Amino acid sequence: MIGSLRRIAAVAGNTFLEAVRQKVFAVLLVFGLVLIFGANYFTEFSFQEQFKFLKDLGYAAISLTGLLVGLLGAAQLIPGEIERRTILTALCRPLRRWEFIAGKYAGLALLLAVMVGVMAVAVAGVLGWKEAQLIAREGSDPEVAAAIRAEARDPRLIQAVLLVEVKLAVVAAVAVFFSTVATSTTFVMAMTLMVYLIGHLESVAREQWLESGEVVSWMTKAFLAGVAFLVPDFNLYNLIDEIVAGNVVLWRSTLEVIGYSVVYIAVLLTAASVIFEGRDI
Amino acid sequence: MAGGLACLLLFGWGGVKISWEKAMTQAQRKATYGFRGPTAVAIREKVGQGLALAALGGFRGLAANALMLQAHTAWEQQQWVRVRSSLELATLLQPRVAVFWDTASWHLAWNAAVAAERYGGEPNETRRRIEARRWVEAGRDLLERGTKAVPERALLFQRLGDLYWQRLGDYQAAAECYREAITKGDAPPYLERFVGYALDKAGDKKAALTYFRNLRAQMGSLPASERRPEVVDREIHRLEKELSAGVSSEKK
Repeated sequence: MIGSLRRIAAVAGNTFLEAVRQKVFAVLLVFGLVLIFGANYFTEFSFQEQFKFLKDLGYAAISLTGLLVGLLGAAQLIPGEIERRTILTALCRPLRRWEFIAGKYAGLALLLAVMVGVMAVAVAGVLGWKEAQLIAREGSDPEVAAAIRAEARDPRLIQAVLLVEVKLAVVAAVAVFFSTVATSTTFVMAMTLMVYLIGHLESVAREQWLESGEVVSWMTKAFLAGVAFLVPDFNLYNLIDEIVAGNVVLWRSTLEVIGYSVVYIAVLLTAASVIFEGRDI
Repeated sequence: MAGGLACLLLFGWGGVKISWEKAMTQAQRKATYGFRGPTAVAIREKVGQGLALAALGGFRGLAANALMLQAHTAWEQQQWVRVRSSLELATLLQPRVAVFWDTASWHLAWNAAVAAERYGGEPNETRRRIEARRWVEAGRDLLERGTKAVPERALLFQRLGDLYWQRLGDYQAAAECYREAITKGDAPPYLERFVGYALDKAGDKKAALTYFRNLRAQMGSLPASERRPEVVDREIHRLEKELSAGVSSEKK
């Protein structure tokens, strides 16, 4: 067990370093940070709206950059190794295939966590900057100053960061799953993106399949059931919108979504490992 | 063989996840007071392709913000119909954002209504007033929908009360809205006095006096300073004086 963990950690560390050295990830990080700092220039609105804009743009920048990093990183994970034939060198060592998959995923998840962390700190910085600006301009009334501080230092934003992080981790797991099936990086990226988009409509498909009394053809029903069975429900992460809107979101709900994501990732990685075990390289 | 096993695993998990997702969705809806939000079809029908893609791709907040910016630009250009449609769409995309309903109703019931009242292209004053009233009612409708979408917060009930008071002159309805607002946890402390002010303004001085007396009794002997007990005492005195003056003049 400890041996397995050590091997997984070695692969993960290697994957992380390899990814960090690629210029594209640095460029994406800079893009995300520019987007976050640029959000500070919406000044013609009420302070509540300004904070909402900042938070929305901040979380969208984190999500978009994380999505691109997850897609690019995972797409190169296995097909790239096969193309370069480096996978043969890796697998001829005492390393099981599932350990290779787990290590690769852990490295990618670490990269995502670091990126999300850096950008979350940037969002917090921009919110602090906006808080100082607004208090200097409108904060002569102590009640207004307190309201501005409450908007800028909302502790629920930690919940939002965690939710963004686990959502991206699920997307990365989907991409890792496809990378064990596919031979081309384009296929992995296209399929993952498709699952990401359909995932935001999964709840509609599920409700249509299970709860709608409409009479539809068996083909439609089979399609809806297929979507409900195989695609993650990304609408569950819409709690982020509630948090940004300033509404109360219980920690219990957040932890439940995190639990769901962890189980989903475990299932996807197990399925990926099963497929990878039977694959000719 | 391996592919079949993986499929079996994914479908098996699918069976479990569906009921888990269903339970979580229900719990989340319960937490948002049963408010379901717009369906994908409703979004696609009402917004353009780009915005629909952003909204359905998990960036609903960004799409709604873009619409608020659009509304702001239209407001600067005094294009009120465009203001209204952009605001309606923004509140459709993010119905749980109280500040959107607040801004939207302010644009319609105040800015658009005042612009209609002062519109130089319409010489007939009655027509201008009817048009202004139409905008105020559009603002009220928005706020009423907003209070249903975000029923747990005081802001929209307070704004609805302000609208009834300042734009429609219906002080009794304003008092009811303020009464509802102060039952919410985030109501500002000064709002509790507004119920009494609105009742007084509506001409129901007895009800206003009873309200202020009850409020003062509720505060107890050591009330928090932000509840301003001295203001409540002053209102009680004033109303008592006015009512007793009214009774003596009736006797004469």
